[in-house]
Formats: sequence, structure tokens, C-alpha cells
Amino acid sequence: MSILKHRPSLPVWFALLGVGMIAGLFGVGSVLLHGHAEVYNVTREIPWGILIATYVFLVVSSTGLCLVSSLGHVFGLEHFEFIGKRAILLAILTLLCGFGTIAMELNHPIRMAIYAVISPNFTSAIWWMGTLYGIYLVLLCGEFFFLMKGMHKGAFAMGMLGFIAAVSAHSNLGAVFGLLESRPFWHGSFLPIYFIVSALASGGAIVSLIVYFHHKASGTPMPQRYTDFMGTLGKLQALFLTILIFFVIWKIIPGIYGHPPEKYEATMAVVNGPLAVNFWLFEVLIGMLIPVTLLLNRRTRTPMGVMWAGVLSTFGIYFMRYDLVIAGQLVSMREGAGDLVNGLLQYTPSLVEVAIVVGAISTCLFLYTLAEKILPLESD
Amino acid sequence: MKNKRFAIVLDTRKCIDCKACTVACKAENNVPLGRDNYRNWVDEEELRGRYPNLGQSFSPSQCQHCGNPPCAHVCPTHATEVNDDGIVHVVAKKCIGCKYCQTACPYNARYYNEEIGAVDKCTFCAHRVYSGRLPACVETCPTKVRTFGDLNDPDSEVSRLLAKHPSRVLKKAQGTKPFLFYLI
Repeated sequence: MSILKHRPSLPVWFALLGVGMIAGLFGVGSVLLHGHAEVYNVTREIPWGILIATYVFLVVSSTGLCLVSSLGHVFGLEHFEFIGKRAILLAILTLLCGFGTIAMELNHPIRMAIYAVISPNFTSAIWWMGTLYGIYLVLLCGEFFFLMKGMHKGAFAMGMLGFIAAVSAHSNLGAVFGLLESRPFWHGSFLPIYFIVSALASGGAIVSLIVYFHHKASGTPMPQRYTDFMGTLGKLQALFLTILIFFVIWKIIPGIYGHPPEKYEATMAVVNGPLAVNFWLFEVLIGMLIPVTLLLNRRTRTPMGVMWAGVLSTFGIYFMRYDLVIAGQLVSMREGAGDLVNGLLQYTPSLVEVAIVVGAISTCLFLYTLAEKILPLESD
Repeated sequence: MKNKRFAIVLDTRKCIDCKACTVACKAENNVPLGRDNYRNWVDEEELRGRYPNLGQSFSPSQCQHCGNPPCAHVCPTHATEVNDDGIVHVVAKKCIGCKYCQTACPYNARYYNEEIGAVDKCTFCAHRVYSGRLPACVETCPTKVRTFGDLNDPDSEVSRLLAKHPSRVLKKAQGTKPFLFYLI
């Protein structure tokens, strides 16, 4: 009753997440009963859909949380030390929910567990992705254990290794796309680098949410050091987002300049095609321009302003992942393949795909909120 | 098969877009029904000219059995294998359904076969070829668009056709070294 009395928003929050998780269960049940072909809208031409985009979003969030938290307990920026436990815990949960999402996209996750071990292909970026993220998960768990036990040397060592694993795993995720010569929109060394930069922006945004809502939920006023931290994080986040804007601009210009075959059509699908609303409204305006404006203006760089910038950029970054994954596949590999509309292939996520996405994100938030209740995450 | 390098030479000028090759392939290889499920296809090229002077060509194709197959490089579990004779095929029990090969193949030659639970593609009808028969698409074509044979044998019909006529491969710039040759 005391929970209801003091924090009426908590039961509502759990109820919302409960609905999301039930939707996820419905999605998982549907795909297990009917099969991928029946309930997913992915096709022969566009085999990777919203589940892959969500997987990328979740693991980018995980990497970002790890990188931003490492600023404190690995690189010694004192301001960032106290977020360690929460950031690493959420990094573990986002990674696990990311794994769950990709498991629903794979037709045979159990075969993967067997044949990735007994028949590994070292030239496959997906093999490296599984291996590196596996190592990364173990290191994150070790780091979290040491942080909880207050063993700083262990946490530092694990944090340092985790940092290296995060950068390796995540740049390799960029390479999963970047090594595909058949997909000019993705191909090249741009994506591995871009993935690291965007992970920083993602991580910074989520850390601001963790700190703000922790105090909001507990109903206690934010202490001065947290207010100071939000200010510092806001400045850092402004820098991350500005660099991200720079990367987005240099992703678009070479895709249009000189009309490079296939790359041009894919880039135009983003700029002035089926993904244009996602790009201009969600990615550019909501995901980058409004947050950067909030963060660069001293008057709006309050804890609440930084939180809003975090909410908006996290939302925008989700669309960034979706657009990246889908745009790379919209151009047909051959004339006459698929049902083309304005020269492009079509993909709209199915209800079941969306339900699984909602379920994965709800589960992640539910587990984190639960951990906040159970575990002593407050730092000294 | 050792010491062989199988290939198909296509003379697309003979193609009448009857799609008998696709039907024969589906029947021979138990390809399921459905929009996405096919191992070979016939693409309609753009209409040429203006009425009444019109022309159109058709371009049948399938897995190119590349000499440098991106599908095999990207497969995390070695489910895609390349035989000594160049035939690229999928070992179904190793396929995890990640579809990385589908995104890597520049020819869109692969699809996920729900019935066998693995990615599926043209195998040059290896089961027929290894018992001395022709691939189903080659055997059924009413206008003999496709010629199948061993490029390591200089007297084979495919070797002779390629010696006699200029030819091209699809998406040469991708560096995949395809073994489907289109006579020009």
C-alpha cells in the first residue's frame, strides 16, 4: 500500500510493461505456432526486418552504456563513477533482450549454439558477432559482480576488458553490414566507425534517463552532485550528437553525389522516399536537432532538459537503426525481382514483428525496474 | 566430382519466357509453393523501342555457382559449401536461418525453405549430374537456352561455345567470378 500511496506511477508503469510483455508473448507464441513465413513480413529480397533493427538498437544501447560508464571506473572521470552499477546492469539487460530479439529472427537458434562451436566460419562477421558479444556479456557480468562487491581493482580490470570487447564487438556489428559488397548502401568502412560513434550518443542518452527517473521514481529531490552530473552529461551528449550529425551528413552526401548505382537509390529512399518521414522527422528533428538545441542552450540544460533530450534522441536513434537496416535492402538485386513500387522493394513490419519488439523492450525495462527495487545499486 | 568445373552457358536470344525451367526446377527439387520460393527465374528486360517497333528480351538465371562466393564467406556455420566441381550448396542441418547469405548474394539466388528448414538454392541438380543426367532446367528448355557442362574439358559443349562466342557474366564488378555465362 505504501508503494501506491507514495508512488502512484509505479503500478501504472508495471501494468504498461506487463501489457507490453503480454504482447511480446503473443508474438513469440504466434511465430512458434505458425512459422516465420506465415507471420513475419520479411521476404526473399528483404530478409532482415524490424527484429534485426531492434537487435541493433538494443546492442548499440548496451555498448553505449558500457562505453559511457567506463568513463568513470575505467578512465577515472569522477563525475561518472556513480552511474557504474546502473549503467552496467542495463547494458547486460539490453544485450540479453537484444539476443532474445535476434533469436526470434533466426530460424534455428539452437542449431546456432551447436554449429557455431563445432563448425565455425572465421570469415563470417556474424560468427565474430556472436563470439565477441558472448565475451562482452561475460565481461559485463564480471564487471557488475565486482562493482556490487565494491572490488574496485577487479571492476577496473573487467571494465577495461569490457571496454575493449564493447568496441570490438560493436565495430564488428558495423562490419556485419559493411562487409557486404552486394549492398552498396552499407558497404565500406563507414559503418563500423559510425556504430561506435552512435553508441556513445545512445549510451549518453540512456544514462541521462537512468539518473533522472531514478530520482523521479524515488520521489526524492536530486542531490547537487547528480544535478552537476546531469549538466556535465548534457554537455558531453551535445558533443556526441554533434559528431553524430556530422556522420549522418557524410553518410548522405556520398550516397547522392554523382548518383552512385544502387547506393543513390537507397539513399534517396531515406531522403525522399518511403523512409523520408522516419529520417527527417524522427531521426533528424526528434533524434538530433531538438536534443542538440536543448543541450547546447544553457537555460534548457537542466536535469529535466537533459532527460528530455535523452528521451527524444533514444526515440530518434531507434528509427536510425530501422532506416539503416531497411534502406540497405530496398534496392532490388536484379531487374524484375519482387514487387517494386517506384523502383523499390517494399517492407512494412507485421503485427507479430511489432509485438515482439514491444515485448523485448518492455521486458528490458521491467527487469531493470525490478532490479532497482531488489539490488543495492546506489554508489557511495 | 574431382577435376571438373561445372558451368552453364546461356543463349538468351532463344528465351521465349515460357518459364518451363522454373516449373521443372520446382518439380525436380520439391521447391514449395509461394511467392518467395524458387531456385531459378526468368527476368523480363525493359521494353525496347516505340510502338509499333518494339522488342523485349528475357533473362533466365539462377545461382551463379561463383568461384568466389560471398554466401560461403559470410555463413557463420559453414552451412554453405563448395564442392570440388564448383557446385555451391547448403548443408541444411547446419543452416541457422540468419539469412546473411541472402543479403550477401548479389543475384538474389537464395530463399528460406520452410519445408526443409534451411536456406535453399540451385545446386545445378547435383543429384542428377552425379548420375550422368542434365540439370532439370537444361533438359526441359524447349529452345535450348541453357547448355550445361564441364569447363575443364576443352571438348565439352560449354567450352566450345565460350571459345566460339563472346560472353558476359552478371555483375562482374562484384568480383564473385560467376560460372553462368551469357552469350553476347
